[in-house]
Amino acid sequence: MVATETKVTEATPTSKAASKKLRDRNQILLARLGWRFTTPSLLVVGLVTIFPISFSVILSLSNVTLSGNGFSLGGFTFNNFSILIHSSEWRYALAFTIFYTIVSVLVEVILGTMIALLMERLSGGRGPMMALLLLPWSIITVISAELWQYIFQGSYGVMQQIFSAVGLGKPVFLGSPTPAIISMMIADIWKTTPFVAVIVLAGLVMLPGDVFEAAAVDGCSGWVMFWKITFPLLRPTIAIAVLFRILQAFGIFDLPFVLTGGGPGTSTTSLAILGYKAMFQNLQFGPGSAVAVSATGLVLIGCLSFLKVFKSQVNSGE
Amino acid sequence: MERKKKTGFARYINLVNLGVFVVVTSVSLPIYWLVISSLKQPVAIGASPPQYIPSPFSFANYQQAFSQYGFSQYFINSMIVTVAATILVLGLGSLAGYGLARLPMRGKTTIMLTLLVISLFPGIAVIPPLYLMMRTIGWLNSYQALIVPYTAFNLPFAIWILRNYFLGLPKEMEETGRIDGASPLRIYWSIILPQALPGLFTAGVFTFTACWTEFLMALTLNNSNSFRTIPVGIALFGTPFNIPYGTIFAASVVAVVPIGILVFVFRKSVVSGLTSGAVKG
Repeated sequence: MVATETKVTEATPTSKAASKKLRDRNQILLARLGWRFTTPSLLVVGLVTIFPISFSVILSLSNVTLSGNGFSLGGFTFNNFSILIHSSEWRYALAFTIFYTIVSVLVEVILGTMIALLMERLSGGRGPMMALLLLPWSIITVISAELWQYIFQGSYGVMQQIFSAVGLGKPVFLGSPTPAIISMMIADIWKTTPFVAVIVLAGLVMLPGDVFEAAAVDGCSGWVMFWKITFPLLRPTIAIAVLFRILQAFGIFDLPFVLTGGGPGTSTTSLAILGYKAMFQNLQFGPGSAVAVSATGLVLIGCLSFLKVFKSQVNSGE
Repeated sequence: MERKKKTGFARYINLVNLGVFVVVTSVSLPIYWLVISSLKQPVAIGASPPQYIPSPFSFANYQQAFSQYGFSQYFINSMIVTVAATILVLGLGSLAGYGLARLPMRGKTTIMLTLLVISLFPGIAVIPPLYLMMRTIGWLNSYQALIVPYTAFNLPFAIWILRNYFLGLPKEMEETGRIDGASPLRIYWSIILPQALPGLFTAGVFTFTACWTEFLMALTLNNSNSFRTIPVGIALFGTPFNIPYGTIFAASVVAVVPIGILVFVFRKSVVSGLTSGAVKG
């Protein structure tokens, strides 16, 4: 009896240690398995995104010459970047990209939030409305660019008809710089505002209802309620929408490429358009890579300044 | 009581309806214009004042898009590239997402953050080296020239969606499976994946849409006529001095249909994807 008891007390620590050891071993095995599960993805992503992004930095710092089937890198040089800094086209493209991004994202977020607030009040038919709002987002950008080019067309476009019908004459849309920029923004706003609205609406629906009831009992007006309660609660959602829209707009290419070709002149030439033209029309891969790197830098600065939002994204899932 | 409340709110409700009306018309009028213009006679496209309703209705533009402009080839190319990339993304992404959600690995936060940042880089950032690399290994103008980058660029976002979805699944069934002695791969395949179908749909719809609409890589890497995808094909229809809008819009309507159906059917998945964490356009 006594013997068995001592046996048990003796056995417990060792079996505990053994099971701990087993668990540790198990954890290590599972972690190894996790890496086996993730490595293929990380390899593909690394090879096709991280490696090229780093490689484009090397390209931008070299004399790149294209040969028959390959390419060769001359020595290290800052030449490409000094070409950029001294080129008024690059400075304009940089300023245009930033300006375009700020204005269109601002309009999209304000309009999108208003639409989301409207939709939330809608008593029925929210599903079909949602589908309708998602339609412009899912349309190929090239198609919407062609469509808006047709709408803004200079001699038979329907927009000109509308303008002359309300007595505003026959303005030029895509043929001169400022109207072309505004037209491009309208096309962009049409395509992405509904998308922002859907995100904000989804955030709005998830807000706790009791706060609003309490505020209504306290006699808050709609305006006060929005600025004091809705907006602060919605801020994380809006911040994410803004962040992703900004970073996306920094790389804008499809819309100006088709709608205006970067013109008239260079008035709608974004960084991506400039880089594309340098590489694929003038075959200058060194300066072209430098333009691409400057666009990447812009996105990176954006990412770093929003690091907090990113971190909250990682944690929100856990 | 009820009645009084309703009349009190009547003006308010009208304002909402008015706003919704404005939104609906401004979203759908351009789409109306796209569809209606594709149904005009080719000569009526440039009419001034424009025909607001085609008279007569004509399918000549559709015929032209397929017979003269070889649109069917672009459609097939887009389908091959998009479907292949979507399958690869879902296969690789669900494995990685499962690992990152459930298995005890170190450095998960770093991996997730890196993936998030990568998914936001603009296409132009990788175009110079990608073009030169593909040129060197002779991949320009091939299906793999797009399938591989599309897979890589959509994997980060898919992993995000799937990881978040896996995190929300109950652990009980997995544990039962483990006690029964099922291997982790088996647990992933026959316990996790069936439960994660909605998450897979979301990631799938996003990947499909992104590949179907991608332009810059398709333009630079697959420029030859027989490997062009729909966006490139449509953008390069005609010449700068003669843009065949009718044909372009007919092709556009055909191109929008698959995505339109997908988004309409899976709109709940799309919305949940937009809010499940990362958001991409």
